[in-house]
Amino acid sequence: MTQLEQLLRALNDAGVEYIVVGGVAARAHGSARLTDDLDISYARTPANLGRIIKALAPLSPYLRGAPPGLPFDWSVATLRAGLNFTLTTSSGSIDLLGEITGGGEYEALLPHTISIVLFGADVLLLDIPWLIHVKRAAGRPKDFEVIAELEALHEEIEGR
Amino acid sequence: MYKIASQTARVVREARQHSYLSQQQLADAMGTSQSTIAKLERGEGNPTIETLARCAAAVGMVVRVEFVPAAIRDPVVDRYKHDVDRTLLRENLRKSVGERVRTLGEWQDNVRELQRATKEARRRK
Repeated sequence: MTQLEQLLRALNDAGVEYIVVGGVAARAHGSARLTDDLDISYARTPANLGRIIKALAPLSPYLRGAPPGLPFDWSVATLRAGLNFTLTTSSGSIDLLGEITGGGEYEALLPHTISIVLFGADVLLLDIPWLIHVKRAAGRPKDFEVIAELEALHEEIEGR
Repeated sequence: MYKIASQTARVVREARQHSYLSQQQLADAMGTSQSTIAKLERGEGNPTIETLARCAAAVGMVVRVEFVPAAIRDPVVDRYKHDVDRTLLRENLRKSVGERVRTLGEWQDNVRELQRATKEARRRK
């Protein structure tokens, strides 16, 4: 089982409400780009925060890039106090996004998702038009190439 | 307009195929003819919303109408788009979603192994 599969299974097994966004979503749609982390938009309800804590606890989550040994309390209180978390785990890197520039929170993104069956579980993906939309909203020069590929992919799918 | 017609054709064809129905079976379920379904799947004619709703109902679905952001022309993006290798995209589109994500996971693992091996080689030097 790949690390990516382990991460997704951990989230699914705990019943976490999330949407796959970013490079993994693009890849699932057909992108040829590689990515190093799993980006998810997550519901910030107290119950869902609890599910995230339960899902990732066995994978030793820690703040990515932080010096080792810093006190980091993996708890609902920590998630509630923050919004976006870039984490490293024993199954690879994961970004928990409470809000996405140009896309908003989990609930606002839900109408712009498609449901797929991945590793035996239902998984929500942000659709291609909205992947492009949030990439544009982010306004980062590095995203130009990504947007170009997503647009080309959309054209291929739509049969233009 | 051409684009909407081709999208509609694709949606109808995929919905029918996912339901394992022949064009004739879908036509029977909708109370129409096989040639009407064939036209729909070729993107011909101008199907009404009611026809699409009957088609969706025949495969256990409903029609969802959605306005999405219009494509924005950006000369920088257009320049990058010129260099996109569409053969890789087409190759990926032939795979299932699961295969695409699994391949990504395998690549990630391979890259980690490459990085480990390179790091070890540097250390030995």
